[in-house]
Amino acid sequence: MTAQIPDQATRKYDLKFARWVRDNVPGGDKMNMCMQCGTCSGSCPNGTEMDVGPRKLFMMVRAGMKEEVLNSSTLWECTSCYRCVARCPRGVPVTYIVQGLASVAAREGYAPKIENANFANSFWWSANAFGKTDERLVTMKYFFSFGLVEGVKKALANLKIALGMVKAGRMHIGMPHKIKDTKGLQAMLKKAAEIEARD
Amino acid sequence: MFAKDNVRMAMAQAENSSPPTPHVNEMTSCKLLVVGGGVTGLTAALEAAKTGAEVVLVEKSDALGGWAAKWSKVAPHRPPYRGLQDNPVPALIEEVEANAAITVKTGTIVTHTEGMPGKFTVKLANGGDEAWEVFGAIVVATGWRPYDPAKLDYLGYGKSDDIITDIDFEALAANGGIKRKSDGKTPEIAAFIIPADDEITPFSAGVTSTIALKQAIQLVDSDPDAMAYVIYEDLRAHGTTEDFYREAQEKGVIFQKGTVKSVDADLTVTVADDLLGQDVPMSGLDMIVLSTGMVPNSTNPDLESTGKGNAQLKDDVDPTAAFAERGLKFLTQNTDEGEPAQPGGPILNLQYRQGPHIPVLANGFADSHYICFPYETRRSGIYTCGPVRKPMTMGEAMEDAQGAVLKAIQSMRASEDSASVHPRAGDLSFPKFGLDICTKCRRCTVECPFGAIDEEEGTDYPILNPTRCRRCGTCMGACPVRTISFDNYSPTMVSEMIGAVEIPDEFEEKPRILVFACENDAYPALDMAGINRQQLNSMMRFIPVRCLGSVTLLWISTALEKGYDGVMLMGCKSGDDYQCHFVKGSAMATERMSKVGETLQSLMLEEERVKVEEVSIADSGRITDLLNNFGEEVEGLGLNPFKM
Repeated sequence: MTAQIPDQATRKYDLKFARWVRDNVPGGDKMNMCMQCGTCSGSCPNGTEMDVGPRKLFMMVRAGMKEEVLNSSTLWECTSCYRCVARCPRGVPVTYIVQGLASVAAREGYAPKIENANFANSFWWSANAFGKTDERLVTMKYFFSFGLVEGVKKALANLKIALGMVKAGRMHIGMPHKIKDTKGLQAMLKKAAEIEARD
Repeated sequence: MFAKDNVRMAMAQAENSSPPTPHVNEMTSCKLLVVGGGVTGLTAALEAAKTGAEVVLVEKSDALGGWAAKWSKVAPHRPPYRGLQDNPVPALIEEVEANAAITVKTGTIVTHTEGMPGKFTVKLANGGDEAWEVFGAIVVATGWRPYDPAKLDYLGYGKSDDIITDIDFEALAANGGIKRKSDGKTPEIAAFIIPADDEITPFSAGVTSTIALKQAIQLVDSDPDAMAYVIYEDLRAHGTTEDFYREAQEKGVIFQKGTVKSVDADLTVTVADDLLGQDVPMSGLDMIVLSTGMVPNSTNPDLESTGKGNAQLKDDVDPTAAFAERGLKFLTQNTDEGEPAQPGGPILNLQYRQGPHIPVLANGFADSHYICFPYETRRSGIYTCGPVRKPMTMGEAMEDAQGAVLKAIQSMRASEDSASVHPRAGDLSFPKFGLDICTKCRRCTVECPFGAIDEEEGTDYPILNPTRCRRCGTCMGACPVRTISFDNYSPTMVSEMIGAVEIPDEFEEKPRILVFACENDAYPALDMAGINRQQLNSMMRFIPVRCLGSVTLLWISTALEKGYDGVMLMGCKSGDDYQCHFVKGSAMATERMSKVGETLQSLMLEEERVKVEEVSIADSGRITDLLNNFGEEVEGLGLNPFKM
C-alpha cells in the first residue's frame, strides 16, 4: 500500500507548490505556522497506517514534493477525528488541510486506488442520494465497488455479522431512511459544486 | 565550639584590621569618551549627556551612523515587536548633533591612552592634528565589520551575481528596491540562507536569524507575489524575535530546516533536510541571500598591528581555529609571541604594561565577566558595548549602550572618592606595599588581572594606579614575601583568624578542616545551603576571602602547622568559560595550588589534605556534599601529625 517515493533523479520539485497550497486549500494559509513539532503525527490514531504523518506531509509541501504529497495515502487514511487540530500548539487546522489536499488530489486524478477512497465514494453516494447514510447500502456499494465477485465474497464474509445486527435490532430492513427534502439537498449540492467550479 | 570559634575568629579579624583610609586622588575628570559613532556610540553619547555628563564622541570615518545608517528598515525592537521599523539612526544623529553637551569628532582616532579611571589622558588624532584630553571613563562602541564574503565560496558566493550577502541585500533595498543584479528583475522566489551557528562567525546565529527574518519579510512586503524561503540549521529567534518569527510565518515565509550541501551557479540549493530525512534540491530560485554575521572590531583594521600584547588578541574568527587558546593562558599576558588572528592596531593604544589592546576572549569579542559584569573589560574604567562585545541586533545594541554608560558614570563618580566600582562596589581599601622587604620580583605587577600595578621607573618597585584596582587581592596572594596588604584584609589578619580557632588535641580525635570560600559565589552558596538546612560536617571552619587569587600559600602552611587536618579552597570556575569575578583570580589559585603538593610532601603530609573546588552560586545543593565528602576523605587519612 505504501507509495514508493521515486528516486532522487526522477523526482520533481515545485517550489511554488507551497504557495499554491496556501492560496487554494482550505486552511492552507495557516499551514505556514507549522513548526514541525510532530504533535499531530504523534496524536494521529491512524498514523501507523499512513505513508507519512501529517508533520512530514507538511514538510513535503514546503519542499515542493507535489507528486508525493498528492499520491500519499495520508490524505485518505485521515478519519477526521480532529485530534491533531485539538492538540496543535500553533493552531494549524491539520484535518482541513489534509482533506483539502485529498479533494485536490481527487480533482486532479491523483486519488490512489485504496479501499478508503472507495469507501469515501460510497459514503458520498449515500449522502447525496438520501441526505443520510444507510449502513446497508453504503456497505453494499463499498463491497461491490471492488467488482462483482469480490463484492459477493465480501458480503458473504460479513453475512453473520449483518444477521446478528438485524436480530439485535441494530440494522433495519426495508426502505432506506431519507431526509424530508432530498430534492432540495441535491439542488444545494449542485449549486455548491457550481460555486466551487467558479474561478 | 563552632559558634565560639567564629566569635574568636571575628575578634582576631577586628583586632588585625583598621577602617580603610581612601587613597587620596588628585583632580578627577567626569568627562566621558565614547569611541565609535555607530548606533551604539550615538545612543551611549546621548544617554550620558542626558545624565548631565560631558561627552566627546569620536568616530573614525567622516560621518556618524556606522553600518546601521545604511539600512532602509530595521527589525522591530519596540512593542509590539512586529512589522519593520524605520531606521532610528538618522534621528539619533540629529539629536546628538543638536546636543550641546556632546562634542562630535569625526575622522578622529585615539592614538594614545594612559592613566586610570577618573583621569585617562587620551591623544585624539584627526589626520595630522593631535589633541590631548582628560577623561573620566571610556566607552568603547567600535562595533563590527562584515565577514569577508570571499570566504563564502562554499555557499556559492561569487558563482552568480544573484548570490549575494545580507549586506548586499540591504544596499539593494535602500537604493531603488530589491532587484536581481543580473537582469534587474524583481525576484519571484528567493532563499535566505542562515549558516550554522559556529560555521563562520560564532555566536552570530541570533543576529543572522533576525536579519534573515527581516529581509524575508521585506521581500514579501515589497512584492506580495514573491516567495521567500529561509533555509536554516539553527533558527535562533530569541526573546521578542519570536513574535517577529511568527509574523514571518503568517506572511508566508517558508522555513526549511537543513544543512546546505551545495549551491550551484544556476541557483540550485541542495539541502539535506533533517525533517524529511533526505536531500532536497531546490531549483528555480531567483536570488540567494547569505546571512553572514558580525566580526567584532576589537582592533582597528586600518592600523598596522604593533605586535606588542598580541597574546591578548590571541584569537580569531577563523572557524577552524581551536577553541582552547583564548588569551587566558596563565601568565601569558606580557609575552609578545603569537600571531594575532584579529589583525589591526589597537583601538585605544593603552599604555599598560600588559599591552595596548583591550583583552578579548572568545572569537575576538571583548572579554568581560559575561554573566555578572557584561560591560566591564579587564581594564577598569573602560567599558565595551554593542557588537564589539557580542553579536547583537540594533535594538540590543541600543540597550547595551545604556547599560555601559551607566557603568561608566558609576566608575567616574566612584573614582572621585577613590572607591572601587565592582564587584566590591564602594570599597575604599587599596593594596599597600611594604617596600622595605619587597624583592622586586614583579609577581604582583604580572599577575594583576587589571594592570593596576606598574613598576616604578628607575627603582622597579611596584607602584599602584589606585582607581584601576578592583581590590581582589590577587597581588597579595602572589607576593612571596607577604608584604602586600589592605587596611582591612591582610596576610596577618587571616593568619590570626586561622590561629584563633581552638584545635582539639590528638586524643579528642576531632579533626578540624579550614575552608577558604570566595565571598562572591562560594560563600553565598554556603549561606543558601544553611538557609535550606542542609547538614554540614561540624569540623569545618570557614574564612571568606575576596577572591581565591588572594589566598597565599602562607595561610595553608600556617593552618597545617597549627594542626588543621585539611584545607579546602572554594572558588569560581576558571578557564575559557570562567565565572571568576576578578577574571583570573581562581585560575591563579588553581595554578598556585597545583604546586602545593611538593610543599606538603616536604612536610611529610599527604597531598590530599589540600583541595581546590570550583563552585558556582547555584551550587548550594552540591556544596555540602563536597565538604562532607572532603571531611570523610580527611578522616580517612587520619589526624594531622603536627597537632599539639
